[in-house]
Amino acid sequence: MTVFNPPTSSDPHGKEVFIRCRNVSKSYRKGKTIVTPLEALDLDVGRGEFLALMGPSGSGKTTLLNLIAGIDSPTTGELWVDKQNLASLKRGQLTAWRAKHCGYIFQLYHLVPILTAFENVELPLLLDRSLSRKERHSKVAAALDLVGLANRADHRPTELSGGQEQRVAIARAIVTNPGLLVADEPTGDLDRKSATQVLDLLREFSSEYRKTIVMVTHDAVAANAAQRTLHLEKGQLVEQVQITTSEPTEV
Amino acid sequence: MLPISYAIRNLLRDPGRLLQKVGGAGIVVFLVFAAGAFNQGMHRILSASGSPQNVILLGAGSEESVERSEVPIQAETLAAAGIQDITTRLGVSAVSGEVHYMAEVIFPTGHKAQALLRGVTPTAFEVHRSVRILKGKYPKPGEVLVGKLAHHNLGVSAEMLSPGQTIKFEGQSFTVAGIFTAPGTVMESELWFDRNDLMTLTQREQLSCVVVRLESPESYASADLFSKQRLDLELSAIRESDYYAKLSAFYAPIRTMTWLTAALIAAGAIFGGLNMQYAAFASRIRELATLQAIGYSRPAIYLSLVEESLLATLLGTLLAVAMVLIFLEGQTLNFSMGVFRLTLSGEIALAGLLTGLLLGIIGSITPAIRCLGTSLPSALRS
Ligand SMILES: Nc1ncnc2c1ncn2[C@@H]1O[C@H](COP(=O)(O)OP(=O)(O)O)[C@@H](O)[C@H]1O
Ligand SMILES: [Mg+2]
Repeated sequence: MTVFNPPTSSDPHGKEVFIRCRNVSKSYRKGKTIVTPLEALDLDVGRGEFLALMGPSGSGKTTLLNLIAGIDSPTTGELWVDKQNLASLKRGQLTAWRAKHCGYIFQLYHLVPILTAFENVELPLLLDRSLSRKERHSKVAAALDLVGLANRADHRPTELSGGQEQRVAIARAIVTNPGLLVADEPTGDLDRKSATQVLDLLREFSSEYRKTIVMVTHDAVAANAAQRTLHLEKGQLVEQVQITTSEPTEV
Repeated sequence: MLPISYAIRNLLRDPGRLLQKVGGAGIVVFLVFAAGAFNQGMHRILSASGSPQNVILLGAGSEESVERSEVPIQAETLAAAGIQDITTRLGVSAVSGEVHYMAEVIFPTGHKAQALLRGVTPTAFEVHRSVRILKGKYPKPGEVLVGKLAHHNLGVSAEMLSPGQTIKFEGQSFTVAGIFTAPGTVMESELWFDRNDLMTLTQREQLSCVVVRLESPESYASADLFSKQRLDLELSAIRESDYYAKLSAFYAPIRTMTWLTAALIAAGAIFGGLNMQYAAFASRIRELATLQAIGYSRPAIYLSLVEESLLATLLGTLLAVAMVLIFLEGQTLNFSMGVFRLTLSGEIALAGLLTGLLLGIIGSITPAIRCLGTSLPSALRS
C-alpha cells in the first residue's frame, strides 16, 4: 500500500486522462463545526477505466463521487472531466453538463415509482429536444435490451425485483451514451446473483464501450470487477495493489 | 421540461389528496362565482333601473327614498311647462306623476305579503320606456298591472298573479288586468295601479314623485333649475341613474361582506392547502433530487410541481362551473328593491378562472421552493 502520487503528464497506464482532480477539498458546515471529508485530494482516471473506491463509512466516498458527477462543487481545487473544469461551472451549467456527460447509478436505484421501466429510461432523453419520439423510443429499447430487460418495459418499479430495478437504473444512466458512469454502492442492496449481473454490465461498458466508471463499494468482490481500487482514508486516496487471481472474466 | 404526463401521474398518486385539493378549490371558486353573480345581479338591476335621461323630482329632504317623498300634485303640470327638452311622443309630454307605496296585499288564499305599489297614469309608459305589456291590458280603476317577477317577491305562484286573478289591498279587491315586463329593472317586481285608486285608498293628496324624460342627459340642468326656481314646490331634481346609484351604494356593505367571505374562505383554503401540498412534495424530495441528478433543472421541476397543483385547482374550477350551472344559474333572488337573477357572466367566469389559477400557483410555489431548497447532495441522501 503506497500513497497515490498523481502523475504529472500522463496516467499510470499511459492512457488518456479522463478525470483529473488536483488539490480538491470539500468542506461542509455542520452547525458551528466545519467537516472536511476531502482534503487536497489528487486523482487521475484514464478514459475507459473502471475504478473502484473503497473506504470506511463517512470517509467521503459519496462526496467524491458527487464532485466527479457534477452534483456538487469542490470547495477548492480543480476537477477536470473530459477537458471540462467542473469547478468553474455554475449550478445551471452543471445540470446541463450532467444531462450530457454523466450517468449516475444509486444504491437504492431511485427509479420514479409512477413511471414504467420504459418511461424511467426515457427521462434523460426528454432533455434532448433534437431527438424525435421515434429516435427516443429506439434508444430506450436498445438500452433496456442491453441490460436484458426488454420484456419488462411496461412494468412499474414495484413490479420488479431489486436486481431488475438496478438494471433499469443502469439503462437510464447509459441511455444518453455519456462518457462517464458513477455508481454509489450499486450492489449494496442486491443478492449475489443480481450483483454479479450488475457488475458484469459495468465491466462490459468499460471494456466494450470505453465508458469511464467510478464505483463506490464496500464489497471486495465487487471491487474486484474493477481494474483498479483506491481507498479513501482521512480525506486522502490510498492505492491498493490489485489482488486479482485471474484476468477479468470477459475476454 | 418534464412531460405533463409526469404531473398528471403524480396527481393520481394519492386519490384522497387529489379529491381534497379539487374539492377545496371547487368550493372556493364556487364561492367566488356565487359572490360575483350576486353582486353583479344586484348591481345590474340597480343600474338598469335608472336612465340618465330621466329626472326624478322628489320632495326636498327626501332624496333617499321615493316612498317617503311628497310632491304637490300640481308639480306634474308645472314641470311639464317649466322644464325644457322634455321628450314628447304623439303630442304627449313624457312627464309622469307617480305614487310609490309599500304595503301589504292579501291573496284569496289568505296569503299576505309586502308589495311595492306604484300608482300611475298612462304617461308612465312615456317615461319608463322599457316597460311593455306582455299579457292583458292597461289597468282601469279597480284593476292592477303586475310586473313579471312580482310573484317572486310576493312568494306566490305565477298563476296567482295572472290576468283575471284578484288581490286585496286596503280591503278592496283588484283584478289583475295584465302582466308587464321591464327587463332587468326593479319595476318588474312591482304592482301598478291606477293612480287615483291608490291615492283614494291611501287618502293621499300628494304624489311621491314626478319623473320626466328629457331629450338628453345634459338637459338635466333645466330640470334642476326648475326645482330651484319653484321654491314653493319644495322639489329636488335628481337623475334617475344617480338615484339608483345611491341605492346601489346603500347595498355596498352587503356586497363587501360577500367578497370578504369568499376571500376569507379562499385564504383558509390556501393556508390549509399549503401544508398538505408541502407534505406531498416533501415525500418526494429524493425523487426530485434524482431528476436533478439526471439533468432536469430546478426551474423545470418547479414548473412541473406548479403544473401538478394547477391541474388540480383547474379541475376544481370545472367542478365549480358544474355546480354553478346546476345550483345557481337562473336562480332568482329577492331583495327589498325587487328580484334579480343569478347568472354566470363572462366576467365572473374569468374571475373564477383566475381564482383557480391563483389557488394553484400560490398553493404550490412556496411548498415547491421549500422542497427544492435542500442542497442536491443532501436531498439525494434522504
Ligand atoms: N451535505 C452535507 N452536509 C454536511 N455534511 C456532509 C454532507 N455530505 C456529507 N457530509 C459529511 O461528510 C462526510 C463524508 O460523507 P460521505 O461522503 O457520505 O461518506 P461515505 O460515502 O464515504 O460514507 C461525513 O462525515 C458526512 O457526515
Ligand atoms: Mg456513501
